[in-house]
Amino acid sequence: MIKRFNELSFVIGLFFFILSLILLAGYLFSIQLADTLNLYTGIALSVFGVLMMIVKSNDDK
Amino acid sequence: MKLHFADYLIISVYFLFVIGVGFIIKKRIKSSNDFLNSNRSIPLWITSLAFISANLGAQEVLGMVASGAKYGIMTVHFYWVGAIFAMVFLGVFMMPFYYGSRARSVPEYLSLRFDEKTRGLNAITFAVMTVFSSGISLYALAKLLEVILYWDFDVSIAIAAGIVMIYTFLGGLTSAVYNEVLQFFLIVLGLSPLVIVALHDAGGWQNIKAQLSPEMTHAWKYMGDTKSNPMGLHFMSLIFGLGFVMSFGYWCTDFLVVQRAMIAKNMNAAQRTPIIAAIPKMFMPLIVVLPGIIAIALMQPALASKGFQIPTNSNGQLDYTMTLPSLIAHYYPTGLLGVGITALIASFMSGMAGNVTAFNSVFTYDIYQSYFVKNRSDKHYLMVGKMATVFGILFSIITAYIAKSFNNINDFLQLVFSFVNGPLFATFLLGMFWKRTTGHGAFWGLLAGTAAAALTYGLTVAEGKGGWIANVYEVRSGMGQAFIVAGISWTANFVTTILVSLATKPKPEMELKGLVYSLTDKPVYHQNKWYLKIVPLSIILIIITILLNILFF
Repeated sequence: MIKRFNELSFVIGLFFFILSLILLAGYLFSIQLADTLNLYTGIALSVFGVLMMIVKSNDDK
Repeated sequence: MKLHFADYLIISVYFLFVIGVGFIIKKRIKSSNDFLNSNRSIPLWITSLAFISANLGAQEVLGMVASGAKYGIMTVHFYWVGAIFAMVFLGVFMMPFYYGSRARSVPEYLSLRFDEKTRGLNAITFAVMTVFSSGISLYALAKLLEVILYWDFDVSIAIAAGIVMIYTFLGGLTSAVYNEVLQFFLIVLGLSPLVIVALHDAGGWQNIKAQLSPEMTHAWKYMGDTKSNPMGLHFMSLIFGLGFVMSFGYWCTDFLVVQRAMIAKNMNAAQRTPIIAAIPKMFMPLIVVLPGIIAIALMQPALASKGFQIPTNSNGQLDYTMTLPSLIAHYYPTGLLGVGITALIASFMSGMAGNVTAFNSVFTYDIYQSYFVKNRSDKHYLMVGKMATVFGILFSIITAYIAKSFNNINDFLQLVFSFVNGPLFATFLLGMFWKRTTGHGAFWGLLAGTAAAALTYGLTVAEGKGGWIANVYEVRSGMGQAFIVAGISWTANFVTTILVSLATKPKPEMELKGLVYSLTDKPVYHQNKWYLKIVPLSIILIIITILLNILFF
């Protein structure tokens, strides 16, 4: 797992996944963030983030 | 615009990641080549995205949205006439010389092809311009944050410069390039929701077309007459000034972007870097031009109920630069607002880091190693590269404060850059494709081109600017004036280089192998798949670009 931090695609995926968690958690638990735009963007960013984390680029070392 | 905890959290996560990338890359830095050139080991998808991200700085993002609001869809010419063709040309014709010559920088190529004085002239002007560009990026970021978020100017400068310094000092070019890719995705994904929501709010493209005057939504139809379009340009001036001189001058000779292709793993990847990069570049107008057009449509009487307004400046005129920040403030709720602001910060930091990493390479290889201290250990040049990074950022900070003190210095510096950059492509074009071109011809051609640019600017006036010698010709827009200046300076360089070259002695042909088209073996590839082949891929890109121009004619 630690080794995957050397892969840029994993780092980018993780970054967007964390961003999506902030937006989705905010949508669910905070009145300030309870906007459908946060929900839809959060879902889109989480999908992108997970895909980037899963994709393993052979030459990305 | 007021940020809340979630917004600050998102900005903090971004800062944490960009610094983290620096620490991850630090372990790989063993030599000056690793630090300044990434040891030519970067994968194609990263070099391609970094290639366009290096150009996705503040001027691009805020400036193109502003131009979209001011000039309408004509702004797409920067992409569909300018960038794409130049990027394809770079990939197909010029990368074999840059990469194949094993030059570590664009000025070093000039030294191999011409002589030391041409390299010195290019290296020094480039180094100065990159530091000033970086400083202007820093100033613009701090100013924007001061205006829209009421952040302290000094604190913004310190944080932004400090973070860029940490990750570029730790990981050099690789760290900057990796962060540019992260920044690319952040800018695209951070601004996409804005385009979707604002477009929906404006009633879609058809309604926008109905609200705006036709010249705002047709890219070519009104370019037959300078009085009929918002840029005040004839299509021939656009094609020659922007499509040929300015775009080719920037994309094919500016080391800041070319450097991203020069660090690819092999020749094929280096050639494909700008070509692959052209694919997302082709669709960037959706992110950076369309919002401007939507913004101006939202201000039309029929859509006034939407409550959107571009702010005005002290003269009561629309402050187009604030178009994107005001759209973000209007549409983004807390949370997504943090993403949008982070995307803006990323664009500024990307521009700054790109300039600093190009500066430290040129300073170390083309100035320090070439003219001051030769034949020292690699460790010594690694140290110099790191010190150049620190001093580059310190000079950027000084430039940012100079820009703060003198309102017009940004315009002035941009103008000087255009004087230097405009004619440069003529030098490369002749140098790479005409073996008779000499070092004296290149050197005097560059000087003549720069002088012609200054003279043309002094004799033309646009939007109250220029004409410091006499008002001989009035141009309707500053952009139009820039195209004319670029066109004349390029021609002056081209003609002078030819004349001086004909009167001076060329280098022997043996010394020009690998540097001039007619004396270089063409690269042969054995890829079976069409998408790995340079020429078929380029032809497809050009066809799509032409179709886009027809679609929005």
